[in-house]
Amino acid sequence: MSRNICEKELGPGLTRRGFLKGCALAAAALGLSDELIPRLVEAAASSKRPSVVWLHFQECTGCTEGLLRASHPDIGRLILDIISLDYHETVQAAAGNQAEEILKETITREKGKFICVVEGAIPTRDGGIYCKIGGRTALEIVKDVAPKAAAVVAIGTCASFGGVQAAHPNPTGAKGVGEILGKPVVNIPGCPPNPIAFLGTVLHLLTFKRLPELDRLGRPLFAYGRKNHDQCERRAHFDEGRFVEQFGDENHKKGYCLYKVGCKGPVTYANCPAVRFNDVGVWPVGAGHGCIGCTEPDFWDTCSPFYERLPGIRVPGGGGVITDADSVGKKILGITAVAAGIHAAAGIGKRLTKGSK
Amino acid sequence: MYEKHLAWGVLFRIFHWAFALSIVFLVVTGLYIHSPWTNSVIEGSRSFPMAEMRHVHFIAAYCFMGAVFLRIYLWFFGNRQEKFWDSAPVTGRNIRNLFSTVTYYLYIKDEHEPRLGHNCLAGTVYIVTIVIAFFQILSGLYLLFPESTFWQGVGLSIFGTQQEARFYHFLTMWYFLIFVLVHLYILIWNDIRDPEGLISSIFCGKKFFEKGALDNK
Ligand code: HEM
Ligand code: SF4
Repeated sequence: MSRNICEKELGPGLTRRGFLKGCALAAAALGLSDELIPRLVEAAASSKRPSVVWLHFQECTGCTEGLLRASHPDIGRLILDIISLDYHETVQAAAGNQAEEILKETITREKGKFICVVEGAIPTRDGGIYCKIGGRTALEIVKDVAPKAAAVVAIGTCASFGGVQAAHPNPTGAKGVGEILGKPVVNIPGCPPNPIAFLGTVLHLLTFKRLPELDRLGRPLFAYGRKNHDQCERRAHFDEGRFVEQFGDENHKKGYCLYKVGCKGPVTYANCPAVRFNDVGVWPVGAGHGCIGCTEPDFWDTCSPFYERLPGIRVPGGGGVITDADSVGKKILGITAVAAGIHAAAGIGKRLTKGSK
Repeated sequence: MYEKHLAWGVLFRIFHWAFALSIVFLVVTGLYIHSPWTNSVIEGSRSFPMAEMRHVHFIAAYCFMGAVFLRIYLWFFGNRQEKFWDSAPVTGRNIRNLFSTVTYYLYIKDEHEPRLGHNCLAGTVYIVTIVIAFFQILSGLYLLFPESTFWQGVGLSIFGTQQEARFYHFLTMWYFLIFVLVHLYILIWNDIRDPEGLISSIFCGKKFFEKGALDNK
């Protein structure tokens, strides 16, 4: 790790046991056979650690926090052990001009070799003035740094797809990195994403010298290749028609499926039920709350209301009235039935007055 | 004096009933998937309402796909009435018929042009329906094969995420409900006004016209 980072902050050093455990976890997440673990370990332990520049833009630092403040910091430590984190605003000791210098120095020295990790969305409206660091807009920084990197990794839903600040009406014109750069980046979405997905991507890169296979949204298939719903421990309740009707009801206490209270597991690609969070074996559905679809683009708009199955319909004009999909359908169907009734009545009326033809 | 004319071939009638019946099953099971109303509280009682509804939905979906493909085939290779050009608003004859049908339906005019095939208003709506059905199939296949990157590519470019595809898939269901309602109403209305045998024509393929009414058509 670069001298620049406060090591003490992270607690006791990584033990060999923790190191192997982290590698084994990543191998499992990547779906590698255990014969490949030694190769992974070898790659992770090699002295040629890739330099990483970690940029923060419109974000809450939750992704970094999720990574570093895991209950057992093995994964976080492992990641910091296998990469050389040369620039990271949250954990670096340097500040101000010194930090700016380090960034400039790193991207020149490691040009074409470093990994650029972006956390947070990038505002584009009004020349991008809504996020500035050291006098430069996020837009300028990312356009300066990212093209010089060997690979660009967007961590979190904000960097991947814009996240909460890109939610309607998106006042700052926030966008994900991929859209800004106009070239494919590795997206590790999630709010926050599971550190294993990031670790797996880095280890894959180190071991096999190439990026893992991605889906059409740039997400690594090993972590985002399947829907939560298809790996969920409550799935049997779904198939057998046992649902929570209301939070706190008897069915909720029994651990039934959360589909009817708005669970978005059926439309969300992630491996939460398989990998879980913070080493304590938990994920939202495990704790009794539906999945909110946080790894999906525009999930703030399309997956909310979070406690309903489908979003409402934004009626254009009319002040953006939001109506729920069911009631729109029923209303149109009702109007159609009434129209048919009027039509039939008109025909009968005409026949009564004029006689049949 | 009436005479009998063959309007619809066997394949067309098979298409019609495969389409109609699969829509009934798709709507009923689709509504259940959307909002499952059973609550089988006894665990391990071998009841799989959701799994079974989805199973029926997918079988009906394949019948629906078959029917749609059959209809598209008949647009090009069916008999004269079944062909795309016979009822699409693309020829002068059809466009004139479109307006005369609208005025007839609005009780403005009492006479209507006897046609062996669809009138142009109906024909246009049927074409729109097949196009909508085609998109319903695409969103359905995207939902059905979530792990295929091919369908992900198709789905993302047309509908967006899985959630958006579900949303459109659900909204489109209402189109089919409205279509069925209007379709049945207009059929019965026509059958009462004109003794062509319109309804029975979809069973036996034949319609009845006054002698000579279809000459020079
Ligand atoms: C007239 C045609 C159809 C109608 C009215 C219809 C209706 C529906 C409805 C209402 C839902 C529930 C949506 C929700 O609230 O989540 C649904 C789900 C679904 N439909 Fe259809 N559908 C039709 C055709 C198809 C076709 C052609 C396919 C193709 C394979 C298909 C595949 C699916 C799938 C995979 C689901 C999701 C089931 C699940 O994940 O649990 N549907 N459909
Ligand atoms: S709780 Fe959510 S993810 Fe789990 S089975 Fe039910 S709907 Fe699917």
